[in-house]
Amino acid sequence: MAKPTVASDWLAGCAGCHMSFLDIDERIAQLVELVDLRATPITDLKHPDKEGVTVGILEGGINNTYNEEVAKQMRERSQILVALGDCAVFGGVPAMRNFFTLEESLRRAYVETPSTDASGKIPSSPELAVPTRVRAVHEVVPVDVFIPGCPPDADIIFFALAELAQGRIPKLENKNLMWN
Amino acid sequence: MVNLTIDGKSIEVKEGTTVLNAARQAGVEIPTLCDHPQLTPYGGCRLCLVEVEGARTLQPSCTMPVSNNMVVKTDTEKIREARKFVLTMIFSERNHFCPYCQVSGGDCELQNSAYDEGMTHWPIQPNWKPYPVDASHPFIVLEHNRCILCRRCVRACGELVGNFTLGFEERGADSTLVADLGLPLGDSSCIGCGTCVQVCPTGSLIDRWSAYQGKETEVDVTKTICLGCSVGCSVDVLTRDNRLVRIEGDWEGKINQGVICEVGRFLPFDEKRDRVLTPLVRKDGNLKAATWDDAVSVAAGLVKSGKVAAVASTRLSMEALQAFKEVCASLGVVSIASTEEGQATQAAVAYANKSGKAFESKLVDLKDADCFLVLGEDVTKDHQVVSFFVKRAIPTGTPVIQVASGPSGLDNFANFSFLVDEGKTAEFVNELKNLLKTNAPDFDGSAKKFGVSADMLKEAVQAISGSAKLGVVFGSRSEAAGSDLLEAAAELASDIKGKLVTTKGNINSLGAVHLGVNNPVDISDADVVLLSVGDEELTQQFMKKFDKVKNLVIFSSFVSPLTANASVVLPVTNWLEQGGHFVNFDGHVLEAKAALAADDGVFSNVDAFSKLAAKLDLNISANWKDALKSSSVVEITL
Repeated sequence: MAKPTVASDWLAGCAGCHMSFLDIDERIAQLVELVDLRATPITDLKHPDKEGVTVGILEGGINNTYNEEVAKQMRERSQILVALGDCAVFGGVPAMRNFFTLEESLRRAYVETPSTDASGKIPSSPELAVPTRVRAVHEVVPVDVFIPGCPPDADIIFFALAELAQGRIPKLENKNLMWN
Repeated sequence: MVNLTIDGKSIEVKEGTTVLNAARQAGVEIPTLCDHPQLTPYGGCRLCLVEVEGARTLQPSCTMPVSNNMVVKTDTEKIREARKFVLTMIFSERNHFCPYCQVSGGDCELQNSAYDEGMTHWPIQPNWKPYPVDASHPFIVLEHNRCILCRRCVRACGELVGNFTLGFEERGADSTLVADLGLPLGDSSCIGCGTCVQVCPTGSLIDRWSAYQGKETEVDVTKTICLGCSVGCSVDVLTRDNRLVRIEGDWEGKINQGVICEVGRFLPFDEKRDRVLTPLVRKDGNLKAATWDDAVSVAAGLVKSGKVAAVASTRLSMEALQAFKEVCASLGVVSIASTEEGQATQAAVAYANKSGKAFESKLVDLKDADCFLVLGEDVTKDHQVVSFFVKRAIPTGTPVIQVASGPSGLDNFANFSFLVDEGKTAEFVNELKNLLKTNAPDFDGSAKKFGVSADMLKEAVQAISGSAKLGVVFGSRSEAAGSDLLEAAAELASDIKGKLVTTKGNINSLGAVHLGVNNPVDISDADVVLLSVGDEELTQQFMKKFDKVKNLVIFSSFVSPLTANASVVLPVTNWLEQGGHFVNFDGHVLEAKAALAADDGVFSNVDAFSKLAAKLDLNISANWKDALKSSSVVEITL
C-alpha cells in the first residue's frame, strides 16, 4: 500500500506552528517512514498534488481572498483537512483586528505607524488580494481535525501526525489538549 | 430527609439540598462555572444542566432543590451536547482567546471546562464586540472582554464583604459589570479587598501584582496567617523561587473563612520601605556595616553600661516577645513597653480585672447576631475583616447601630449612625443602656442631651431591645475608646446577653498583655534603649519619643528614622520570613509559618535575641505558653 501523503500551507499566521512541527526533531525521520511529505512551505512543491493528498494541514486564519483560494484548494485536494494552531482553529492573534474595522486596521498599518513617513498610503493595486475579516479555517471550508495551541507543542503535533499516518483520527485530550 | 437517584446511585440527603450538592455527596461530578461553594447559587452559566426524569427540559442542578424519588442523570449525550453548546456560547460572547490571557494554562475555570468536555474548537465565532478595560484601581484590573457574566464577584462583594460595590447594568450580551453606578473601579466605593479577584473564574478580574507571575501549578503555597492587624486571618501565600506571587484568603480559615482585606492581600506588595540587610554599628558618628558578631558585641557592651529601657513591637510572635523579655529581665529591666503602649488593650484589661472574668466573645459568635452596635474606632479601616462581619449582615435585615465621633466607613451602611462628641460617647452608651431598662423612656430628653434625633434614638433602642443576639463591636484604637466607654458597652451587652468583641491593636496585642510587655513607653531616665520593632511601620509621633535617646539598639527589618539614629542596628526578618505563635484579638492562639527565606545575614527576631543573649551568657527558654494560663479578657483557645 502506498504511504499516505501529507501537504501543508500557511495562511494568516506567524509560521510558528510549522516551526513547532520542526521541533519534533529527529522524529521527523520516523514520520517520513510512515508518510510522503509533499507540498509544504518548507519543501520545493508549493501546491498540493492535483491527484489529491491524504492529509492537508493549514496553519493560520483566513484574512484575505488569497487565503480563501489556498484554503479551498487544500480542502478540495485533501481527504482529511487539519486546522493547525490557534489561528487556524480560532482566528488567533491576527483576529485581534476584528475588533476594529478593516479601514482602521489598514490605516494603522500603512499610515499611522511611527515608522511610516508622510508618503505612507494604503496599497490599492487590483493585483493584491482583498483583505477580509479574519476567520478561522472552519468558517470558510469544513475542517476534519482541530489541533489548537499557540503553537501546539511539538509532541502534540507528532502525536496527531502519527495517528493520521496510521489511518486514525487523533483524539486530543488531557495533556494533548491546550489552547494556549 | 429526601431519597433520590443520581446516575443510578441512590442517596439520602437533607431537604432543601440542591441537586448539585446531592451529586457531590454521591461522588458524582457535575461541571460548574458560576457556582462557588462560598456563594449563594445563581444558576447563571447553565453548565451544570442535568436530566431530571419527568422534566420537560434540562435543569440547572445548582439551583434545583432535590425532591423525593427524583431520578437524575448527569452524563448523557444530550447533556454533553448541551454543555458544549453552553461553553460555545460563552466563548463566542466576548474575547476569550486563550493565548494572551494571564490565567490561561491551568488557572482558568472556563478553559478547564472546555478541556473537560474535550472541546478542540468553538463551532461558532465570536461576535467581535470590544469591551473596555478598567485599569483605574491601584490593585485590581477589570477586563470586561474576559467576563462571562457569572456574577461571582457581585455575590462575593455583597454576601462575603458586604460592600455592594459591584453590580450589573444592561441586559443580555450588553450586560456589564459596574462599580457603584458606573464609576471607574478606582473611583468607586471599592475597598480593594480583592475577594472578587479570588473568586473570578476567568481572567476578568486580575490583580496587578501577580498577573503573569506564575500559575497555580507553578507556585508553592504556604498556609499561614496575615499579621496585618489583630484579627489574624488565615491566608495562602503563593511564592515562586522565593518571590512573593500572590496572597489569597483561605476558605478553611477559622477566623475569617476566606475573606481578607487589602492589608493582607495587596499591601505587602506595595512595601516601599527599604530593608536593613546588614548589621550596622555607629563609629565616629556614622553608621557602618559590621558583622553580626561585632554588632552584637557592641550591643551587649552598651546594654551592660547603664540603665536599660526596653520596647517591643506587638507584631512580634510569642516566642520572640518571650525571648526579648528574658534578655531584658537579665538586664534588670522592670517594665517592658510596647509599640502600642497598651492603649488598645488597657480598657478591656481594666474591665476584665474589675469583673474578675473573661467578658469578650469570639468573632464567630457574631455570625448570627441579629443586631449590631459598633463603637469606638472606624473598624472599616483598622480591622476591616471585622467590619465585613457587620456589613454583610445588613441585607438580611440586621440593624446596625453606630456610635461615632467622626466620619466612618460605616456611615453609608449603618441603619442608625449617632454622631456624638468624643468625650460623651461613654455617657451616650450609658444612656442607651438606661433607656433599654426603663419602662417609660424619655427619648426626647435623651436625644436633646446628645444632639441626636429622638426618632432615630427610639428606633435604635427598639432594635436593640428586640434583638435576641446583639453583637457589640468595640473598636479599641480610638481616642474615645476608653475604659468608661468599654464599661458602658460591656454592661449594656451583658444586660441583654449580647456578645462583645474588642478589636485591640496589632496581631499580638493580647499576647503582649499576657507576657506583661504591653506597657506605656517611659524612657526618660534610660541610658540605653533596646528597641525591637520587627517589621512594624511606626508613626512619626511614636518615633519622636526616641529622638533624645543617646544609645539606641534597634532590631528592625526596615530602614526608618529610628535606625538612622541608632547606635546599633540589627536586621531581622519580616512577617513572611518567620514563623511563630500569636494571640489574636478574640483569644485564638494562631501559628504563622515562614513563606519566604530571608536574605543571608538577616535573622528571625528569636534568633537575633538569642545571639544577644549568648553574648550576655544567658540561656533563653522562650517558654511562652505558661503566660497564657493567666486569666484574660477573652477565653484563650489553643
